[in-house]
Amino acid sequence: MAAIVFYLATVVNYFFIYNILAWGLNIQFGYAGILDFTYITFMAVGAYVAGVTSLGPQQPGTGVVYILGWHLPFPIPILLGGLAAAVLGLIVGLLAINRLRSDYLAIVTLSVGIILYSLVGNLTGLFDGFDGLVGVPEPLNGQVHLGVNTYSIFYMAVSGAVMLLLWFFAQRLRASPLGRTMRAIREDVDVAEAFGKNTFRIRLSAMVIGCFYAGVGGALLIGFVGAFSPDGWSTQETFIIWAILLIGGRGNNWGSVVGSFLVIALLSEATRYLPTIPNNAFLEPALRNIVIGAGLIVVLRFRPQGILPERKAHFPEIRTAAAQAGDPGRD
Amino acid sequence: MTIFWLSVGFGLVTASVLALASVGLSLQFGVTNYVNFAYGAFLTLGAYFAWTVLTGGHLPLGLAIVIGALGVGVVGVLCDRIVFRSFTRSGFPLFYLLIVSFGVSLILGNVVQGVWGPSPQFFAVVSQFPLHIGPFLLTPAQLVIIGVAIVSMVGVHLLLTRTRLGKAMRAMSDNPALAQVSGIDINRVTTWAWFISGSLAGLAGIALAISTASFEPGFGENFLFTIFAAVIVGGIGQPYGAMLGAFLIGMVTEVSAAFIDPSYSTDLAFVVLIVMLLLRPQGLIPARGKA
Amino acid sequence: MTDAPILEVENVARHFGGLKAVDGCSFSLQPGMLAALIGPNGAGKTTLVNLVAGALPLHAGRIRFQGTDISGWSPHRIAAQGLVRTFQISREWPRLTVLENLLVAAPGQQGERIWNALLRPGLGRADDRRLVAEALDTLDTFGLYAMRNEYAVTLSGGQKRLLELARAVMSHPRMLLLDEPMAGVNPALTDQLAHHIEALRQGGITFLLVEHNLEFVERSCDHVVVMALGRTLATGLMADLRQNPEVVGAYLGGESVERVAG
Ligand SMILES: Nc1ncnc2c1ncn2[C@@H]1O[C@H](COP(=O)(O)OP(=O)(O)OP(=O)(O)O)[C@@H](O)[C@H]1O
Ligand SMILES: [Mg+2]
Repeated sequence: MAAIVFYLATVVNYFFIYNILAWGLNIQFGYAGILDFTYITFMAVGAYVAGVTSLGPQQPGTGVVYILGWHLPFPIPILLGGLAAAVLGLIVGLLAINRLRSDYLAIVTLSVGIILYSLVGNLTGLFDGFDGLVGVPEPLNGQVHLGVNTYSIFYMAVSGAVMLLLWFFAQRLRASPLGRTMRAIREDVDVAEAFGKNTFRIRLSAMVIGCFYAGVGGALLIGFVGAFSPDGWSTQETFIIWAILLIGGRGNNWGSVVGSFLVIALLSEATRYLPTIPNNAFLEPALRNIVIGAGLIVVLRFRPQGILPERKAHFPEIRTAAAQAGDPGRD
Repeated sequence: MTIFWLSVGFGLVTASVLALASVGLSLQFGVTNYVNFAYGAFLTLGAYFAWTVLTGGHLPLGLAIVIGALGVGVVGVLCDRIVFRSFTRSGFPLFYLLIVSFGVSLILGNVVQGVWGPSPQFFAVVSQFPLHIGPFLLTPAQLVIIGVAIVSMVGVHLLLTRTRLGKAMRAMSDNPALAQVSGIDINRVTTWAWFISGSLAGLAGIALAISTASFEPGFGENFLFTIFAAVIVGGIGQPYGAMLGAFLIGMVTEVSAAFIDPSYSTDLAFVVLIVMLLLRPQGLIPARGKA
Repeated sequence: MTDAPILEVENVARHFGGLKAVDGCSFSLQPGMLAALIGPNGAGKTTLVNLVAGALPLHAGRIRFQGTDISGWSPHRIAAQGLVRTFQISREWPRLTVLENLLVAAPGQQGERIWNALLRPGLGRADDRRLVAEALDTLDTFGLYAMRNEYAVTLSGGQKRLLELARAVMSHPRMLLLDEPMAGVNPALTDQLAHHIEALRQGGITFLLVEHNLEFVERSCDHVVVMALGRTLATGLMADLRQNPEVVGAYLGGESVERVAG
């Protein structure tokens, strides 16, 4: 019984966190058309910064090396994780967002990811190389003192609250004139520029906000898992978030919810029905990724807008007095 | 000084691997006008194909290399026919193709992982007696890599300038709309472009595996950005630019290793890429018809 | 007309590799003019529009708008000054509704600032109430009201032309640069567009339009700039230009362009 509760709570926590991640990518790509092929890097930065600011000072002799060690209470590490990712997003955006073909942005972001990954390996003093972090404190558990199972249920409230807050702002941005202009930039950046929009600044802001979401998602994840291993943050993971966004329906935050539900269900459930093949432990995760890759391609081909396509914006129609006087009979 | 010449020698080897890879990527980009993000996985496949033929089939290395390279050429054609073509034919916007190629990369990478497992492999046949050639110190295998690259580059040059297929490829690259109406068989040229691009990727993957001693499922993907750096420095979609870019990036990454910590040499390629994007985004030799 | 010119183009040049697309082009326009830019295909008209709008960097020369030197400015800064351009091939924002296409074009929206968008959505909504009313009126004028909630991609070619102009109007320009606003539309729509342009000119907007329809140019435009091979060949009234042998040679008479320029 306890096992099943823990399992369900884990799945729900992942579901909440993936929603946040997908909304961040939706702000970047679904709203503003930015092809960020290293989204996972921003998530990793958020996770790492949240980890090292919630951990206490580094202990000599444990072999775990990291910076900061500020021992900050919830929710400050999560906020700092989001901000650190946003700052990195700003730097990458400054380098990569220009008036060139969108492939260049994809190429530069992918390269940034690979380079940062190699830097993590090189700068062992800063990041502990590929060994990562362990024993990251569970947010608020210093106060509530819960066991593993109960804490995972409690954590649903933490990640759920953060999720709702970020949902609120993602939807607000979408409905705002800024969100509308972002979508115009996504559709045709030159025309938006020709209508006086500072497209560089607006795309940069979408990049930064999206990275903030990624960082917060990463921070929530490390708070739940309690450890950080750079191995888990590869390009493949970026693709999972892309799959969630595009299968669910880009431009529509509800679509991301559907997408993360489906992908999580697939990741955690579907592979258990595959026949086990002895002597090949890598086959199962490999098959899972192949299914996700192929699934996305099929969805894009036959339902290009995703399961829940972006919805048309409607406005309350208030006509000017002149128009009402002029043509009373108009539809 | 010896260290310097030594690193120039390594630079030539890296530049050769890069030239094979960059020219292949550039050829396909020129013809189809979208970047193939699965290209890194093509390199990986080449190494695994050749390795399997070599160790499983007990064939000579030369034959294994040819079979490995052509095998990836076939994979390229299959990817195009099964996946990409169905998107281009229906007029999907550019970003779909980028994402789809990203997806193909995930699929191929995991096929390799599933079939061959995650542990590193190596080409056991490679003999390591270095030879002194002028100021350089190179193993026979490295000399073969340089030779293969030179022969391939000459081959690509002859293809582009002497054959109808090559001229059609250049026409499609310079002005797709014009090529469309001037009677070029677009389907055939595209298929050949994928085959040649895939074969060059396969060759590059084998060369990379031989020159770096070992390889694992992600190794082609990690090299992909160095290829991008070479291609963008040279001018994307421009095979001759890709050769130049490959030479520059190969030299920069290896020669710098004589002066700074070698583990930062790929980071230097990234710095070159960024500087280039900021200062001369169209590349050293800008391609016509590509913005 | 002795007012200060609204647009001054001085020795502007732009080449693409070896091709001199615009090669020393000069002219100036007075406020309130309805001016035409004509010339054979490949004369460099679109390139000139791109240069004036800042979409391409200049290789030489200088451009002034309302006395301000705008050479080297980014397109959005130029547009914000009230110098707005349209495109030779209609470029609507396809997956925005027709109404949204107009709303985005409106300048100076408070809700486009990031903190306002996230923290003070009321500001954006207040702007929108005003802008929606204005946009609906504009759509009414251009006969697109019924299409207001359709995605712009679903419009017909002619409707896209109308949208292009309606959207430009919504940006409250001082001057409009229209690149072949009547390209590929039927005669009835040509008249309709001509009528809109004249009405807007009455409202105080200055126009420079690239146009191949010489009948319209002769009837409506009070100033004509003729371009050939990247240079301004002549300026003046259409009726006078018909007498100019150079212009006739380059364009109107259909003689070889190279002979005249060389
Ligand atoms: N981006 C570009 N790169 C290379 N050449 C270009 C570019 N844009 C225009 N040109 C060339 O510059 C010349 C002028 O082109 P432009 O489009 O300005 O002519 P135009 O007068 O607008 O012609 P049309 O009446 O056909 O629209 C042409 O020879 C064209 O091929
Ligand atoms: Mg033109």
